[in-house]
Amino acid sequence: MSDWSFDDLTKWDEKICEIAKSRGLDWYEIAYESCDYFEMIGNMAYHGMPSHFPHWSYGKSFERTHSMYNAGLEGLPYELIINSNPSIAYLMLENPLYLQILIMAHCVGHSDFFKNNRCFKDTDAEHVTRKFRSARKRIQNYIENPHIGIENVENIVDACHSVQYQIDRRGRFRLEEKDLKKSLIDKINSDKNKVYKKIDLNKKPLEPEYDILLFILENSSKLEDWERDIIEIVRSESCYFMPQIRTKIMNEGWASFWHYKILNELELPDSLHIPFLKTHNQVLRPWGGRINPYHLGFEIFKKIEEKFGIEECFTAREVFSDESFIMQYLTEEHARELNLFTYSPKGRKNPDWSIDDVVDEEGWPEVRQALISSIGSNSIPVIYVNELKDRTLILQHEHDGRDLELDYADNCVKNISKLWKDKVKLFTVLENDIFEF
Amino acid sequence: MSIFKEHKTIADRSAADRSRHKRKIEKAIREGVTDIIADESIIGQEGKKRIKIPVKGIKEWQFIFGQNESNKQVGSAPGSPIHKGQVVKKGQQQQQGQGNNPGNDKGEEHYEVEITLEELAEYLFDSLKLPDLDRKKFKIAVQEKPKQHGTRPYGIRPRLDKKESAIQRLKRKSAAKRTEQIELDPETGEEVFPFHDNDLRYHFIKEKPKEATNAVIFFMMDVSGSMTTNVKFIARSFYFLLYQFIRHKYEKVEIVFIAHTTEADEVDEERFFKRAAAGGTHISSAPFLALDLINDRYHPNSWNIYAFHCTDGDNWEEDNDKAIAAFIELRDVCQMLSYNEIVLASERPNWDSSENSKLWSRLKSIEGKNMKMNILKSKDDIWPAFRHLFGVENV
Repeated sequence: MSDWSFDDLTKWDEKICEIAKSRGLDWYEIAYESCDYFEMIGNMAYHGMPSHFPHWSYGKSFERTHSMYNAGLEGLPYELIINSNPSIAYLMLENPLYLQILIMAHCVGHSDFFKNNRCFKDTDAEHVTRKFRSARKRIQNYIENPHIGIENVENIVDACHSVQYQIDRRGRFRLEEKDLKKSLIDKINSDKNKVYKKIDLNKKPLEPEYDILLFILENSSKLEDWERDIIEIVRSESCYFMPQIRTKIMNEGWASFWHYKILNELELPDSLHIPFLKTHNQVLRPWGGRINPYHLGFEIFKKIEEKFGIEECFTAREVFSDESFIMQYLTEEHARELNLFTYSPKGRKNPDWSIDDVVDEEGWPEVRQALISSIGSNSIPVIYVNELKDRTLILQHEHDGRDLELDYADNCVKNISKLWKDKVKLFTVLENDIFEF
Repeated sequence: MSIFKEHKTIADRSAADRSRHKRKIEKAIREGVTDIIADESIIGQEGKKRIKIPVKGIKEWQFIFGQNESNKQVGSAPGSPIHKGQVVKKGQQQQQGQGNNPGNDKGEEHYEVEITLEELAEYLFDSLKLPDLDRKKFKIAVQEKPKQHGTRPYGIRPRLDKKESAIQRLKRKSAAKRTEQIELDPETGEEVFPFHDNDLRYHFIKEKPKEATNAVIFFMMDVSGSMTTNVKFIARSFYFLLYQFIRHKYEKVEIVFIAHTTEADEVDEERFFKRAAAGGTHISSAPFLALDLINDRYHPNSWNIYAFHCTDGDNWEEDNDKAIAAFIELRDVCQMLSYNEIVLASERPNWDSSENSKLWSRLKSIEGKNMKMNILKSKDDIWPAFRHLFGVENV
């Protein structure tokens, strides 16, 4: 069926690597595995991890992709590569040669990004596959343990998944509680203006704790060992994936930026070059109602190169995340070219979605703010532990103008109380009023 | 230079997670039964007919923002003319559902499961049992013994098939060996491979109904003027469930439809459900007619008799004594007699604060093993009422 052999792939890979190296890319070695489309969907369901603990939600994810594939609604993503050393990437057997070449060049860009972007420095690419394998084994043991069993394991995983992204998104350095206390005492002692007088040193936590799972781990006395282990496993998986959520636009933009450069340098015969251009345009087309990260990232990197040179591109890919990248480089003029706009439904009486702002003098700050609020981890509500009082876990939603979906929040709170095994309260704002769950 | 690994077929890695997801959906089907059975299009259909059931996706709860004006989405449309206020997406009008049926949530995932009525019956009735037949001594004597019918992956402990379970474990073990997933005990260095729930196999015992075991069901319904369309709708859904259930358990079922106002008539199915409401109420007329028919056609020695009565309880007072006498007599020849009062909260006159009818309180005294009573206040009560009648465990 396919028009290629492994020798072809090796040959083209060699050329790709040569060009990439000469241009200054620095990536983890890539291990390509071939698979058919069924296995591809299987791998996608587990985020490409060669080994991952079981959970029904991955079965659901499989079914969804599979039925969309069968319904022709969605082509499979052309690449799937994980942040590990070596980086594992999958090549679908059904893909024609030009697409494999495109994917390999694209993967080099991703792997370079994983290796060099600052957000990824704590993701431990060296050991990640081993960690996932060990987590799978432990969870498998809990499942097979007659005293625990699959139902209990899945309940805990379900509950953890409700707050999986309520972690400290920036991976900031955390002070130990006693050090934090000490620094606060110092502040109070040297405080002449009595600004810090009101600090309650017995409050727990002393400062808002954004890492809900960690707080539960550190402060619960009711968790069984296996439950602790599962919470820790889910939490560390979230920490591993959070940088990818925070750099989706940059990461896809960078990989597309490079596959485009490399393929144009490969001197492909027309029979490969023309279908390549077609696919490239297809992948990078704007999506209208949503931001296509491939498109936006690619366009911004292109603009940076035009204006400041390729060196600036390399610096940007190292130091920024999507949010700071957009703030730094997306100009009003460029946004106008991209024809960005914001839109929303207009309430119960008029359910149609209509455009609120377009990029003009008046609208640009609004569009920019909405764009920043919708990208990376900003699309996930921020919930933190405000206080632990009489065994009640009091959570606070950091309201930024956007209200929570009530049904979901309600069920999340129920799930958190399964982990905390005591009362849980959540405060938020709903239509400008304080709302308590 | 990169590494290339040739294609090697590995086990279908998501198979187990898919099957658990499927089981969750099945559970959702079972739990959503009131929605399904209330769908008029399946009532009165043949068993082989395939029906589509919308099942809400199994949700993974996370904190998300609501879709409203405060949560603005961003789009990008290079080259297209756009302007403020332009409608970019047609909203769905909130569906004005019937009363308690609010408009659909946004972004709700729906699966369409296509199953036959027979499968639906299996989902619904697996855990339910018909009331036992202990009074039918004659028939028990000739009834065939329960037969083993192979094995299946769930069942009760005493029916564990040890041999088959061991084989399943070995199968899994050898599969695991191929993928090198066997673990060693850290102390002894021996292979550890415990039994897994999925290994266990149980004898499947099918209680084959004896061919001569016949059942007759009397569906009795009050069609007097006080029975509104909504009340009748609930009655109809309830009867539909009963019909499917009894047909699921018996090979041969006869159904007798009795509609009554002050007088009872045997009617056909269509007239039973569609008959226009008019007139007053003598509840006793229905059980008396049933008793007459039993005498004529369904002798209790060779028939299992079930009788169900649905009413709004609005009986004329003068008839209450007769009704109770009739119900007692009917109860004594039935496997089960059930009296169901449908009292919609929304349709109660607000000057009437009593919970139930007078007849209800008096019938309560004759309730017992084969006389059961239910109150249905909305269609959500249909399934619990049903479990109350047939459930193995007490609900």
